[in-house]
Parts: sequence; C-alpha cells; structure tokens
Amino acid sequence: MNDGRSPVLEVLDLAKHYGGVRAMDGVSFDVDRGSITGLIGPNGAGKSTALAVIGGFVRPTGGRIRFDGVDITRQPMHIRARHGLVRTFQMARVFGSLTTIENLLVAAPGQLGERVAGIVLGRRRWRSQERELVDTARELLDTFGMTDKADEPARNLSGGQKRAVEIMRALMMRPKLLLLDEPMAGLSPSLSRQLEDVLLKLAQDGLSLLLVEHELDTVDRLCGKVVVMAQGKVLSEGRMSELRVNREVQDAYVIG
Amino acid sequence: MHLIIESVGFGVATGAVIGLGAVGFSVQFGISNILNITYGALMTLSAYVGLLLINRGVSAWIALPIGAVVVGLVSVLYNRALLAPLVRRGTPPVAMVITTVAAGTILQYVIVAIAGPSSQSYGEQSGQTLHFLGLTLSEGQVVIIVLTAVLMLGLHLLLTRTTLGKAMRATSSNRTLARSCGISTSRVSDISWLISGALCGAAGVALAITTVSFDFSLGGLFLIPMIAAAILGGIGQPYGAMLGGLIVGVSSEVFAAVSNPNYKDIVAFAILIIVLLVRPRGLFGTGSSTRRLMEG
Amino acid sequence: MGWEYYAVVLLVYLGTDLLAVWGLNLEFGVAGVANLAYIVVVAAGAYAYAVCTLGPSSNDGGFQAYIGGLSLPFPVALLAGSAAGAVVGTLIGITGLKRLRQDYQAVAMLVVSLMIVTLVSADSGLFNGSTGLALIPNPFASLDPQTERWSYVALVAVCCLIGLFVLRRFTTGPIGRTLRAMRDDDTAASAAGKDVVRLRLVVQAVGGAFGGLSGALLVGFIGGWSPSAWAYVETLAFLSCVIVGGRGSDRGVSAGTLVIAVLLLQGVQFLPQIASSPGLSEDFGWMILGGATIVFIWFRPQGVLPERRPRYAKRSSSDPSG
Repeated sequence: MNDGRSPVLEVLDLAKHYGGVRAMDGVSFDVDRGSITGLIGPNGAGKSTALAVIGGFVRPTGGRIRFDGVDITRQPMHIRARHGLVRTFQMARVFGSLTTIENLLVAAPGQLGERVAGIVLGRRRWRSQERELVDTARELLDTFGMTDKADEPARNLSGGQKRAVEIMRALMMRPKLLLLDEPMAGLSPSLSRQLEDVLLKLAQDGLSLLLVEHELDTVDRLCGKVVVMAQGKVLSEGRMSELRVNREVQDAYVIG
Repeated sequence: MHLIIESVGFGVATGAVIGLGAVGFSVQFGISNILNITYGALMTLSAYVGLLLINRGVSAWIALPIGAVVVGLVSVLYNRALLAPLVRRGTPPVAMVITTVAAGTILQYVIVAIAGPSSQSYGEQSGQTLHFLGLTLSEGQVVIIVLTAVLMLGLHLLLTRTTLGKAMRATSSNRTLARSCGISTSRVSDISWLISGALCGAAGVALAITTVSFDFSLGGLFLIPMIAAAILGGIGQPYGAMLGGLIVGVSSEVFAAVSNPNYKDIVAFAILIIVLLVRPRGLFGTGSSTRRLMEG
Repeated sequence: MGWEYYAVVLLVYLGTDLLAVWGLNLEFGVAGVANLAYIVVVAAGAYAYAVCTLGPSSNDGGFQAYIGGLSLPFPVALLAGSAAGAVVGTLIGITGLKRLRQDYQAVAMLVVSLMIVTLVSADSGLFNGSTGLALIPNPFASLDPQTERWSYVALVAVCCLIGLFVLRRFTTGPIGRTLRAMRDDDTAASAAGKDVVRLRLVVQAVGGAFGGLSGALLVGFIGGWSPSAWAYVETLAFLSCVIVGGRGSDRGVSAGTLVIAVLLLQGVQFLPQIASSPGLSEDFGWMILGGATIVFIWFRPQGVLPERRPRYAKRSSSDPSG
C-alpha cells in the first residue's frame, strides 16, 4: 500500500454541504509524495473548506480521504495529526501564554511526560527525552532566525513570527503532509521569499505540501502540480504555466 | 386528569413570567454576546423595589412599571460602566460570565444586608378566581398573562416596524456590519439594555406578585428556567424565548403535579442541559446566534 | 478556648481551602476548564466521608435518613471522599464535552451544580435531604480536646503536603505545558495531536479528587454538612482565590487563598459593627469577594502572582527549570 510512489493524499469525491450551500461538491485530487501541490481558485471556491475537511476540523457530508493509503475520513483531528497530517491556520494560532520554544516543545509527539508513567514517576522518566526535544527545537529556532525569542511569550510575537512558530510547531510533529492555508498572507515580500526557500528545502527533504495560496507567482515558483477549484468543484489540474493560459480557469477568476 | 389541566393553567401563568424574563435575557445576549448572570439579582432588586412601594400603599400593578424603569436604567449603567469596557479590553467570555456572577452576588448580598434575609410578601394579589377552558386562574395571573402578551406584541412591533427595531436586529446579528452601515451601535446598545432591563424588572415584580412569598434568592431561583427558556427557543430569538417560557412553565408544573413537587425545578435544568447537548441552537436559532454558540 | 481554638479553625479552613483551590486551579487555571460546578465535587467528598464514617442510619433513634453508614475508619473514608470527588468530577466533565463556546459550557456546569443541589435536597433518603447530615464522628474524638484539635490540624497538613506533591506532577513538566496549550487554544492543541477530550476528563477527575478530599477533611472537622453549605455561590469563593491569586500558578493561587480565605473573610469579623451581627459579616464577606474578583478581572486579570513559564537559557545540555 505504501510503495513510496503512491500519492500521500487521495481526496475522493469530497463534499460538504451547509444547509443549502454546497461549499464542496464532489472534489477529487491527489497529492504526490514529496511534492508541493497548490490549491487555487477565486474566493468562495471551497479551498479553505477543503483544507478544513482534510485536516479533520469539519466533517464531510460525503466522499473519502485516504492518507498514506489509509482511509482517514472518520478519524478525529488529533489522530490525523499524530499520523503526520498536519495543518496550519489562516490566522496563525499560537499558544499565547507559552513561550516560543514551549510552543514547539508542546507539539512533539510521544512525550513521556504526558503519559501516566511519566506523571507518576516524575522528571527522572522524561528528563533526557526533554533534553533532546529542546535541542531539536533550538535547531528549528536557529533555522528560522528566532533564537532570541525562545523565552518570549508567544502572544507578544508579530504576525510573521507567529506564522513561523506555527510552521516550526508543525515540523516538530515530524509530518508527512503539511496543509498550509495561505502561509504568505500578511508577510513582507522578503519574509515571503525566505519562507518559500524553507518550503522548497523541506519538499526536497521528502515532506509533501498542500498549499492554498492567492499569490499566483508564489504558486508558480513553489508548486509542481496545481489544482484549481471554483464553486466547490475541481475545475482543472496541471502546471501553473498551463493553467494560466487555460480559458476556463481565466473565466473562473473573472466570474469569481 | 383534572390535576393535569389545573397545572397547565398554572404552568401558563408561570410560563408567561418565565417567558417575559427569557425574552429580556435573550435580547441582552443578542446585543452584547454576554450570558448575563446578574440578570437574576436584578430581578430580585426589582421585586424588593416593588416591596418598598407596596409597603407605602402603592398598588402592585403600579410598582411593576416602576420596577421595570429602575432596572432598565440600572442595566444601562451596568453595561456602560462595567460590561462594555471589559469587553473592549478583550476580556474572554468565561471571565465575563464570572464577572456577572460576581456582580450578581454583590447585588444580592447588598439587598440582604439592607432588607434582611427573611421572607417577604406582596400580600394578597390574586383577586377573584376565574374559570375558563377548564383552567382555574386567579385575576392576578390573568392580568400577568395579558400584560406579558401585550409587552410581547409591543416588542414585536418595535423590532419589525420601527427603524430602531431594525437597527437593533442588525446590531444583534452583526455588529461590525451594522456600524459600517452608519448605525450608532453604542446608542442601540444603550436602548437595548434599557428595554431588556425593563423586561427584567417587570419579570421581577411579576414573580413577586405570583409567588406567595419570596426572599433574596428569588431572582436566582427563576434565572435558570429563564435561561433554559431562552436557549430552548434559540438564544437571541425573542419569540422563541416566549414559546420556550411557556414550554418550561407548563412542563414544570405538570411534572410537579404528577410526581414529586420537590423536583419541579429539575425540569428546567434538564431542559437546558438536554438542549445544550443535543441541539444548542434551540428551536428557532438562526445561523449567527448558533455560530456564536459553537467554538470559534 | 479563645485564640487557640480560633487558630485551629483558621488553619483547618486554610488547609482544606488550599486543597480545593489547587484542584480548581488545575481545572480552570491550568487547563482552562471553567468548572462552575466545582463545589459539587467538594460536597461529593463530604457526603462520601460522612456516609462512610457514620454508623447505620437507624442509630440515635433514626432521626437522619441516609444511604451507607459503614462506620469505616477515617483514612479509608478520606480515600472514599477523594474517589467520590474524582468520579463526580468526571461525570460533570462529560456534560462539558460538547463543543460549545466556553461560557456556555461554564453556565451548563453551573446549572448542573444547581440540579444536583436540588436533587439531593429533595430526596430525603439519600443524604437526609435539605437538613443535611450531622454527628459525623471526629477521628480523634478519643483524645483530650486540645490534642484532638491539633491532631486534626496535623492531619490536614499531611494531606496538604501529599496533595501539593501530586499537584506539582500535573502542573509542571510536559503535561503542565500540554494542559496550558489546551487552555490557550484547544483547537490548535487538537491539531497538534493532543486528545483534548481525554485530557479534559483526566483533569476533572484529578481536580475532583482534590475537591473531594477537601470536602471530606472539612466535614470530619465540622461534624455536619447540608446543602446550604454548597450553594453555587461557594464556587465563586474558590474562583476568586484563583483569579485574585494568579490563575495557572500554584504559588499564586495559594497566596490568593491566604489573602481571601484568611485575611478578608476572617478579617472582616474584626470590624466592630459587623462582628456584632453574624449574618452581616457573611454578607460583607460575599460582597468583598465579588468585588475583589471584578477588580482583578478589570485591573489585573493575571492575578497577584502571575504564572511564570520556565526559561531555557542557552546551555549546551539544558535541564528546564520549573
């Protein structure tokens, strides 16, 4: 099932209806392993709904989702996260009262200190694992240039820094697939470029990414395959350069 | 069977008062997005203001509008001085509820300190008993039912036929949008608190009229049935709150009649819990109020 | 009597209040579960202790009607009280699981506490209805009065020490961090792989155990317990200790308990006009409590001694403090 060439994510006929509104109406696409796939479309196309459903925040009305070969349609959010399907939010959500480094540490999976034995036996049980986690977290902070903010309560960080914390936190979870909801939103052009470089490097190292983004140039630079959605359905798929000259896609953006 | 029909009559009378209070509570939540637990103590305040007047020979039916006005004004000031500023500073909803609990506690014990903890009574207010449709109601109860119906009609006309009413509904539904349409949301807020506070005050005096005796716990006792009615009807929906009040009132009385009367209050509690667990938007809850219910 | 007795009372109340506030702080301050029904777990502990240590209900002419009556020794009864608190806490926690906005959940739990008070008051066979239970035996009754009193203080102190040890296991380290993350944003915590439902229930069980122990110790000292002792407003007393002291900080809420339970509530007794009228001092106590809560929510919501997070100063091999 997991032969390294099968898609890491398969979305099959996914639907989400809110009363009369069909936010998603039969959406199907794949995300290939180790690729950066883009999800674009005009406002109201259903892109954020798609991410929300795939991430497990919203239950679909119909359809299936297969992650790493396993049907996860009914899996709760936290189980998906533990299996490597991690989502970031449009408005960066950090744990405000925890420090930056704690925001990273908290996301590490399999912490001994969270288990019954760890609580009962105390520090001795989880001390060395914690040390390793702190080292890993520090490396991430160095990569993103936020070492000096390690002990800063996360609520005091700027928007861009919170976005970075979210992504670092996602990386602490050793994800297989990262769902990014407009990661460049609100970032300055230079920060955006830095983030792009980081994402490209991550993909090179084997991480798969599904990216919802409005900036089509960013999508062009980052993404191999791009899926276009409009009005709850998949309109087209392909490379950004092909899609730019696709008549249907152009119309969809005009009509919105 | 006769017992059940009698209790239905009783239930309609208490249900009318519960509905009255529930509508005020619902309007307050709609406009401010706060579950105002102080509402209970404010009803108690109104009941005691009425007592003050009755002990000076004023008729209970005059005391009712006076109590309404008093609590209406207190409510506006309360929101302006404490609640709205806290919300502006980003106080989270749970802290707001705790604030209203604390404020209600302060008010309640101020009342006790001044008026004493012993039971009070408005005296005989029932008048003659009337019989119709197989129900037995006292004059007093009928007056309250009619009064509640009139107030509800008035509120309905206000909300649907006047500019103010439309502004209130708009602010309730989406405050930011309303402001960008040029509505003075702070003025609308003040008026909404005045009106809902008046309903709260009216309910307080009405409760004191319909109960044989009461003490400082009056408002607190009836607050939960009112919240249950408001949530059952759909929080933020005045008409739903009215219907909810009738349902809570009648079912409580009928349940008490057929089983242990000590358990009467359980019905309201149970309705509230069940609605919150099974269908939080209640009977008539619409999108915006429901979205506020579910986690952000 | 006089001062010595007063000191004993103060210490016992301080100790039992600390246990309850620690439990509530774990639930609300650290994990973000607004359990406005907390007083119910305290009552559960008290009643469990009572029906474990009392003899059969037919004793003394059968003037009290209750279940149990097992005449068990007090250590067993204390454990039973704690366990009762844990069980009731978990059950209350189940009502809060629906994904409603936090303040709705809080009000739902408030209503649950009222419901349980009504049920227990109304059913006279369960715990003697609204009259409550009395003549609960004091474990040290066989000793002379002064030793008896101070033995009880020692008992409470031992329980507090054990309680503090257990508490720190939950409020520090990785689990403490995870619970605070859940408090800050439970959706994001879920997205980070945390089983928020299980965490909430665990926290309410442990918090309930603390509350149950608190109630059991208190009722063993006082000898009686009735529903009026656990009106919903009692939770406000504990909440204010948490809010005034420093939500999420064990030191903070302990200081808050000292300030509120001891200084404010007891200090009010010393104002001459008030001391003459016992009811009035209680009224004033509640007014001050409510006032302090609002003042702190307005001016200093983080409390007197705010929560502090550990620092990870740059060392080659670090050992996180706190």
